[in-house]
Amino acid sequence: MLGRIRSLLGLAKGSGQEAPPFRTVFKNFKEVLENNNRALEIIADLGDKLGGDYLFDINYIKSAYSDLAGAVYGSIQNFDVLTINRYPQIHEVFSRIDDHIKTLIYDVTPSRGEMVLDYKDITWNMFREVGGKNAALAEMKNYLKLNIPDAFAVTTHAFDAFVAHNGLPEKIGAIRENPDPGALERLRTEIMGGEIPPDLAVALQGAVERIRETFGRDCFLAVRSSAEEEDGDFSFAGQFETVLNVPARSKAVGEAYKKVLASLFSENSVVYHKMHGYRVGDVKMAVGCLVMVDAAKSGVIYSVAPNGDRDILVINSTWGLGTSVVEGQTDADMYMVKKEVEPLVVGTKYGRKDSMVIMREEGGTVKVRPAEEMVGAGTLAEEEVKALAAQAVQIEKHFRRPQDIEWAIDKSGKVFILQSRPLRIPEVVRKDSDRQEEYAEPHGVLMENMGVVVQKGVGAGRVYVVRHPGELDRFPKGSVLVAKFDSSNFVRVMPYVSAIITDTGTPTSHMASLCREFRVPTLVNTGAATRLLQHGQEITLKAGDDGAVVYDGIVRELIEYDDRDLPKMEELFEFRKRRYVLRYISILNLVDPLIDEFTPEGCKTMHDILRFIHEKSVGELVERARYGNDMAKHHMAIKLDLPIPTGIMIVDIGGGLAAGGSAQRATFEQIASVPLKAIVKGMMHPGVWHADAVSLGVNDFISSMMRMPDITTDGRDYAGYNVAVASGEYVNLSIRFGYHFNMLDCYCSDNARNNHVYFRFVGGATDIVKRSRRVELIAAILREYGFNIVTKGDLVIGRLANISRGELEKVLDHIGRLIGYTRQLDAVLNDDSSVERFVRNFLEERYTF
Amino acid sequence: MQGQKIMVIDDEKIVGDMAKLALEQDGFYVETFLNGEPALERLKKEKFDVVVTDLKMKGIDGMEVLRTVKRLYPETKVIMITAFANLDAAIEALRGDVHDFFPKPVKIKELKASIQRALER
Repeated sequence: MLGRIRSLLGLAKGSGQEAPPFRTVFKNFKEVLENNNRALEIIADLGDKLGGDYLFDINYIKSAYSDLAGAVYGSIQNFDVLTINRYPQIHEVFSRIDDHIKTLIYDVTPSRGEMVLDYKDITWNMFREVGGKNAALAEMKNYLKLNIPDAFAVTTHAFDAFVAHNGLPEKIGAIRENPDPGALERLRTEIMGGEIPPDLAVALQGAVERIRETFGRDCFLAVRSSAEEEDGDFSFAGQFETVLNVPARSKAVGEAYKKVLASLFSENSVVYHKMHGYRVGDVKMAVGCLVMVDAAKSGVIYSVAPNGDRDILVINSTWGLGTSVVEGQTDADMYMVKKEVEPLVVGTKYGRKDSMVIMREEGGTVKVRPAEEMVGAGTLAEEEVKALAAQAVQIEKHFRRPQDIEWAIDKSGKVFILQSRPLRIPEVVRKDSDRQEEYAEPHGVLMENMGVVVQKGVGAGRVYVVRHPGELDRFPKGSVLVAKFDSSNFVRVMPYVSAIITDTGTPTSHMASLCREFRVPTLVNTGAATRLLQHGQEITLKAGDDGAVVYDGIVRELIEYDDRDLPKMEELFEFRKRRYVLRYISILNLVDPLIDEFTPEGCKTMHDILRFIHEKSVGELVERARYGNDMAKHHMAIKLDLPIPTGIMIVDIGGGLAAGGSAQRATFEQIASVPLKAIVKGMMHPGVWHADAVSLGVNDFISSMMRMPDITTDGRDYAGYNVAVASGEYVNLSIRFGYHFNMLDCYCSDNARNNHVYFRFVGGATDIVKRSRRVELIAAILREYGFNIVTKGDLVIGRLANISRGELEKVLDHIGRLIGYTRQLDAVLNDDSSVERFVRNFLEERYTF
Repeated sequence: MQGQKIMVIDDEKIVGDMAKLALEQDGFYVETFLNGEPALERLKKEKFDVVVTDLKMKGIDGMEVLRTVKRLYPETKVIMITAFANLDAAIEALRGDVHDFFPKPVKIKELKASIQRALER
């Protein structure tokens, strides 16, 4: 039995490698913290400076990144020592991410000159090679995980090779300034008659073969233009050729490819070139080859109403393939949708769809007349409208500007996105920024001059108070999240949350970085949000440079102002390009330490590495400090003299006790360790430490008094003390009362980022029903204090991190009380309802049974 | 301030792009240049109310831009932006002639306030 407990607690000593003394471990732990903090501050600064409020140059990014890489690497080195090199993979992961970032910063083309690239290998910054359309589609596929048809891109390198192979550069050069229609036509004819260069032919054949392996020999492709400059600054909409339903055979694809290339030199295209200051030959043509979707219906979404109303999106829809909608040849259905979090259909107009385009079996498309009953019928069910709207909102949010989206729904009902490009819409009249106060005036002020702004902006909605992570599952989209603690778990609702307001928290927390990434207006460390804001109440948060105000009710004018008046830096290509580097720096993928991906290999960003190191370093510390009893034997352990019989011995590893005390005994006043003092204070809280005997049931053989060392003697010389390994800011406290084993590892400093509590409770010696009630009770109470909880049988593990010193001291005080409270709990947990009752009693500070 | 003319010179495209977008929003007319030479050519033809220039550029640098501007249009204000490391030296060297200095990254709001002050005088 004891062996089992020991192994469960991990008490059995581990690997043969010589472990350094605990003081050294602790010193390394502190160095990890210091480097992590420095790194997180740099990450926060980068996020801030690259957020659109600053003019920055590459020198800033270079120097900030070099500092960051130094800090992260420093952290890794301390981590190696701390864990005795248990995670060697972290080095490889670091260099891989570092390479990615340097490639971006130093503008090294990620390209190795490939002529054909599968979409899965395309990242957004490769648009020069694959063109804007391919880059955007690959981004939606790989990053947003939207349903994009399988596809490959034929790059601008292939274009260069084709042009050179067929001796065209001089001919293009000759008409550069003055392209007459005859010369253009001759050029197009030469392209159509041109030969695909051998290495391009090989690459194309390989790509087509791979598609056929997956989709069968009879599949078809859409071969579409994706011009180099077709990215956003100019849309080139409809200027180039698209060839639909091309048999997936190299010859047919090659012909379609040439057709698309030739369209670069059409008269229309050249006029459009000139209009935007380009000359013939300035623009290169990449091509996208996508597996055809056999569409039952398809169409176009404007993510913003054409009149400029940004709250409304418009879906056009018709039967069959969408070409007729795109080209405006059919009287399509129109759905107007209000972009609420739960999209709301506000207008529907059915067109007379008396023709539709479908795929021909032998390739190509044909226009046919739909069945009579389909002509006037609506193409989309309400659920489909909502699904399309939700994706459109997601895409618009990601690209941070209005989008023109092509979509299709196949015969099985699956939604595909076929293209998304920036939508130019007329500027609407701006609200006057000086009149913001005036708009807000009729609304009461609920909070002002409180907290720290993490992300600027305006957010409004109903308050939803989150007390523990489970409640996130029911989070109503579009609400304002209000919580006591900040938590990276909130990432689950980030895409739908209007604003976040917390009682505690810091601008360098994991959550803060997520908020900046998602641009969620966020206010932390208000001290009182959960008290001042009522669950269900409608509010508006306005967070700006000079602090934040929370108004009663929804101040619509403020939202509109915020939406429209900020300079749209995102529209600048250079800006998006530079900001892209943050994708390898500040995004946090390792949110939950309990997921399988929480490994060195799961780290995709510098932030992930820091998170991983911090979590595992705390684990390491906890693991080592468990041998407190060994330390008590080897170090000077000092008995803590308290009015209550806790039997705690202190091993002072530096600053845990005030200087000048006795060498054998210490009083409460002499405790200098901030976390230990808070815990002991809680234990001594009046009424918590019962001396009264509690009547025991027959199944219990545990008493409310400490029992030791008799039940723990298993042949090893267990000292039987309750041991606190303490420094000024740290304590690891192992406490054993009877069969309960409680361990608390805590760092409590002035820097909230550094702080953590690791709580572990194992009990036994009572019947299984009571045990599970006890687990339930402890878990319920810890959740109230913001802990993330895992329970396994009779084991409760709670974690809490990133919490300010003042808050943490309060939490520890209550945990001290909980330790006293749970000592005799089993004996009284007679039925399930008693759990709830005792939780309530505890939270209301009634500790008597 | 409608239509007042601002020139921004920086050898990194992003600086000019962002400044132009932000300043146009406030109603300014903005032209941007990636280096000093064409900027000075333009200035010879037309007067600008404020010139925002990077200090360290290849070829014609911020100092030379400043000298030329002051010679052509003594009343045109020059705002110098520079990498943080060069700031002290820049302030020392240019004291008096320059309306304002900013280390990069420059908070756009502060740059706008400085331009505002330059135009009020």
